[in-house]
Amino acid sequence: MSAFELEAVVAGYGGRAVLHGVSLSIAANGSLAVVGPNGSGKSTLMKTAVGLVRPTSGRVLLEGGDVTRLDAPGRARRGLGYVPQEANVFRNMSVRENLKIGLEFVPGRVRASFAQRLSAMLELFPELEPKLGTLAGHLSGGQRQMVAMAAALMPAPSFLALDEPSAGLSPRNAALLFEVIGRVARYGVTLLMIEQNTRLGLGAADEGLVLVSGEVKAKGPAAGLLDDPQMRSLYLGSR
Amino acid sequence: MAQLLFNGLVTGLLIALPALSLSLTFSVLRFANYAIGAQITLGAYAVYLFNVPLGWPLLLSTAAGMVLAVAVGLLVQALAYEPLRARSSVTRLVASIGVALALENVVRFFAGNSPRGYGVEIARPLRIAGLRINQEQITIMLSVLVALVLVWVVFRFTRLGRAMRAVADDADLAAVRGIRRGRVVAMVWVLASALATLAGVLIGLDATLDPQMGWNYVLPVFTAAILGGIANPMAAVAGALTLGIASELATLVMAPHYRAIVAFLVMAVLLLVRPSGLFGKQWVAK
Repeated sequence: MSAFELEAVVAGYGGRAVLHGVSLSIAANGSLAVVGPNGSGKSTLMKTAVGLVRPTSGRVLLEGGDVTRLDAPGRARRGLGYVPQEANVFRNMSVRENLKIGLEFVPGRVRASFAQRLSAMLELFPELEPKLGTLAGHLSGGQRQMVAMAAALMPAPSFLALDEPSAGLSPRNAALLFEVIGRVARYGVTLLMIEQNTRLGLGAADEGLVLVSGEVKAKGPAAGLLDDPQMRSLYLGSR
Repeated sequence: MAQLLFNGLVTGLLIALPALSLSLTFSVLRFANYAIGAQITLGAYAVYLFNVPLGWPLLLSTAAGMVLAVAVGLLVQALAYEPLRARSSVTRLVASIGVALALENVVRFFAGNSPRGYGVEIARPLRIAGLRINQEQITIMLSVLVALVLVWVVFRFTRLGRAMRAVADDADLAAVRGIRRGRVVAMVWVLASALATLAGVLIGLDATLDPQMGWNYVLPVFTAAILGGIANPMAAVAGALTLGIASELATLVMAPHYRAIVAFLVMAVLLLVRPSGLFGKQWVAK
């Protein structure tokens, strides 16, 4: 059984479809990177996956259960964690409060206290320990990404969606962040990632999917897509 | 001078509650609730209903009046604001002008236009350290301070407060963290209506009740909220105190009945020079 699936999803805004029958599936503890040019519908795909955009047709399945009609809070309660692009922390709250919020509104996923989960997250992201009292808005872009990822992981979700994790980061910070994503993947979470930086995205995932104009143009093992000269020249660019 | 400062402090505290209410609704719902004045009036008269015709003690009447005003607040949210949720903040501001007119005229319909007062005995003013202090001023100070501390505690240390601040900070992010916006919005109206009711009672104790009483506070309340930074509820309290004291000190150089001009001046200067307020920046940046 797949951990996460989109089945022939059509979705968009104000009656205009952006995704035209997109299907994908991710195996449990697997990872999928969705890549494609600007305007290909990657963000809409992500918003549809997490419940911020409701599809006009098709189904969204999480661990075999149909979550198409559930809104974002409902999907979070079913074990879906999400790290949005850039605006991904509560900037006027401390790092500790961001992590607390990550856990306290998603009841039932874990039977662990805040202190226990906090300790687990600090083990995964030791860089955050000295920053717990700092306002999240005062952190660097890379540190904010880590806070966002730790907040999403606080309730121990079975599935984590990452929206353009390298956006706005310097190449050095992006590389560091993807090293962290590697740590998260080993943590036993199914990962869906959309990423503008093709090489980084496909390099960090088991599977890859190329989205162009709201349609799936190719999918398969990430390494294979990255090495395919035709794919690179047609859809992936030189990055 | 000390008397003026004291009076200014009391005036500021009177403005602080509705300014906090206005700022609270703005920070979560992202529109300026023009009906704040009508909510003050409605709350004051709801308490009057229990206190005078039914003869309940003022404290109990205040609690009952809050329940009534909260019910009206939730009804208004469901009927007027929620259907306009996807519309612009200007559309919802205009809707709140309509709500203000409707609420004020409902009060007028049932209570008439004559001034009224609560069933409380008039007490002699006290003389403390050379200051002339009315019993009502003491009630105002204690009530507002207790309410402000309670709201601050809710904001800083409770799950509800974190949910409110999270939705105010980023509603989409709050949703993906499992926070149900609808419940937070409902709780915002509960708090905002209760604060407006308490403000109405205190204004009614300080002066009299009439259907225009809330309207008279709209300008100072907006000025105080903008002065603090309208999306920053606790800073709105600082804005209210600053405005209250400035208005009283202005009587040193102008006739007392021109005091209201201070609010106009402060708002005009702020909108020209620093529209985000003294402490705020968030909503302008967005």
